[in-house]
Amino acid sequence: MIARSMNMVQALNSAMDIMLARDPAVVLLGEDIGYFGGVFRVTDGLQKKFGAHRVLDTPIAEGGIVGAAIGMAVNGLRPVAEIQFADYIYPAYDQMVSELARLRYRSAAAFTAPLTIRTPCGGGIRGGQTHSQSPEGVFAHVSGLKVVMPSNPYDAKGLLIASIEDDDPVVFFEPKRLYNGPFDGEPDKPAQSWSGHPQGEVPEGYFTVPIGKAAVVRAGGALSIITYGTMVHVCLAAVAALGIDAEVVDLRSMVPLDTETLTASVSKTGRCLIVHEATGFAGFGAELVAQIQQRCFWHLEAPIARVAGWDTPYPHAFEWEYFPGKQRVVRAIERLMAEAA
Amino acid sequence: MSTTTRHIMKLPDLGEGTVSAEVIAWKVAPGDLVREDAPLVEMSTEKAVVEVPAPVSGRVISLGGKPGDTIAVGAELAVFAIETIIEGAPKVDDAREVEAALKESAAAAAVAAAAVVESRSVPRTGGRIMASPATRRRAFEAGIDLATVQGSGPQGRILARDLGAARAANAAPAVTEIPVIGIRRLIAQRMSEAKRVAPHFAYVEEVDVTELEALRVRCNAERAADAPALTYLPFIVRALGVVLHDFPQCNAHYDEARNVILRHAAVHVGIATQTPDGLKVPVVRDVAGGDGQVLGIDELASEIRRVSEAARAGRAKREELSGSTITVTSLGKLGGIVSTPILNLPEVAIIGVNKVIERVVVHDGKITIRRMMNLSSSFDHRFVDGYDAAALIQALKEKLERPEELLSKQLRVN
Repeated sequence: MIARSMNMVQALNSAMDIMLARDPAVVLLGEDIGYFGGVFRVTDGLQKKFGAHRVLDTPIAEGGIVGAAIGMAVNGLRPVAEIQFADYIYPAYDQMVSELARLRYRSAAAFTAPLTIRTPCGGGIRGGQTHSQSPEGVFAHVSGLKVVMPSNPYDAKGLLIASIEDDDPVVFFEPKRLYNGPFDGEPDKPAQSWSGHPQGEVPEGYFTVPIGKAAVVRAGGALSIITYGTMVHVCLAAVAALGIDAEVVDLRSMVPLDTETLTASVSKTGRCLIVHEATGFAGFGAELVAQIQQRCFWHLEAPIARVAGWDTPYPHAFEWEYFPGKQRVVRAIERLMAEAA
Repeated sequence: MSTTTRHIMKLPDLGEGTVSAEVIAWKVAPGDLVREDAPLVEMSTEKAVVEVPAPVSGRVISLGGKPGDTIAVGAELAVFAIETIIEGAPKVDDAREVEAALKESAAAAAVAAAAVVESRSVPRTGGRIMASPATRRRAFEAGIDLATVQGSGPQGRILARDLGAARAANAAPAVTEIPVIGIRRLIAQRMSEAKRVAPHFAYVEEVDVTELEALRVRCNAERAADAPALTYLPFIVRALGVVLHDFPQCNAHYDEARNVILRHAAVHVGIATQTPDGLKVPVVRDVAGGDGQVLGIDELASEIRRVSEAARAGRAKREELSGSTITVTSLGKLGGIVSTPILNLPEVAIIGVNKVIERVVVHDGKITIRRMMNLSSSFDHRFVDGYDAAALIQALKEKLERPEELLSKQLRVN
């Protein structure tokens, strides 16, 4: 299959383009996604190509978007709803938790809801508290929802197609700082592009990346760094800066969780650092700690460490003091490796 | 009031004319309190290992030798301090001496105890062993008790590298030193002496034991319910008793001191026996009938069993371990096809029994399967000529191949 260089916006656009063409049940809905093409241009050109009955502009009402999408999904469509920023998703939370997540269970599988909810997440764009949040943990906690977050254009396209084809609801987080290029946590450096990045080479046609499968993006023996989203690139930069033989695992899916890959990695290295951008307290990393200590306890050389966003709302100022950047990851690796074993 | 007296224990006569004995292992150390009759020391005499009990209750002050040392009967074996409650004045001199000795041993014990405490003292947090789960797993897999390991990490945490020493201590050493003392020293001396002074020659002959096997099976089927199964050995010993009458030069001792050969009228057969201490040779006496009475096969079998079990258990009497005039050595199923036994001096012949195996042989002009056994024997060529040795073994072979006669209680069956 012919691959070409795509950024994550183009890769996501390609996924929906392909699915709209392949499956007449696929519809897109969201704020400004049709005529305007989306605030991040992810749906650019799709309404023009497939028509306003396939790519729908909605009012600014997230509860309504998701509620309508649930109705479509239960009645045979395969909707892809966009919530413009993950920071705006909370009005839809009741619909997602009380209706969407439970439909299969409540109806004894008479109804399923093949609904994908796309939403840009994460900070690093000087977006302040209303455009920078990482709420994946509050969805991972809800039984009945799948939660994924790609870290590169290739995975973004493959995972989005897999999500659209999935018969159960998937919450699809898009780290917006990665839309245009990988980001290693250094805001003062010139922005990088996906062009030339191996994961920026994306097949033009249909392919999937399986939900529930993590990727070892760097193999190593000294420690395991478990991370996802933007922090994959921050961690790789920290590892390169230290010149340490770390293994970096990109979860890609939070739910279902690929415990097999995690167990193999941590059992091999005996040391584990968990890194995510979301706040630490009761965050998704806490679940990872629990899962890993349960499975790898007798292999642990040191306590499992975490680097996460500080336990405050995302700040307007001091973003780079808040954001868990390269220096924090470097220090955490050094502390973890200094634990005598 | 109480007083302390000193009790010197001298090595007693361990019986049967012992003049000295070798220390094998002490069961006590200086400073120990022992009770009367508690095991004190294992001593080895020429023929047996004997456990010597403590003669008194008291504290051990000193021991008379190290393992491997030979102590003469009557020499000081151990010294005890005995506390007694008596009326009247203590023996001042004795008491002082004992006190000084006790202080010395107590000081030594204190140093030893301190060393133990030092090697085990691990500063720990909360009284628990500090170690990562991975280190605990490594220790578990290596069979190391972490309580015995000194941690070199923060707060005394046991690190992977700390297990190295414990692992080395647990591992079997590349070379293990075993002092050659006691029975083993005796075996070594006698074997090298025999090989050095006696020019051995070996003679191997095969014996068809097909009929002997049939007889053995029949005897076993007919034996009393409580009698153990017969092996080949009693038949071989019995046959030896019969044929040696015609070969007195093989049933002899050489007395080197007087330079005479002692030909024995009686046949006392030594049975080479593997024991936990090493090779011993218990003796079955008068197999050819010392007083006109010949032991039957069953009686011979029980006597062989009795003396070899006594030797294995270390409770054979001195006379049960000496006085043989010829020796039989048999390893049963481990017997191999040929062996070259070493003489049990001062004897001049030893009969080695190899394993019994079914072989294709020519018998009565036909190729057939027979049960065959080799006899590998050694003789002292100074006193036994090849012709006589060969004739003895041929006679023995003949008896074993016509075994019915061996059941007779008559000495000469011809």
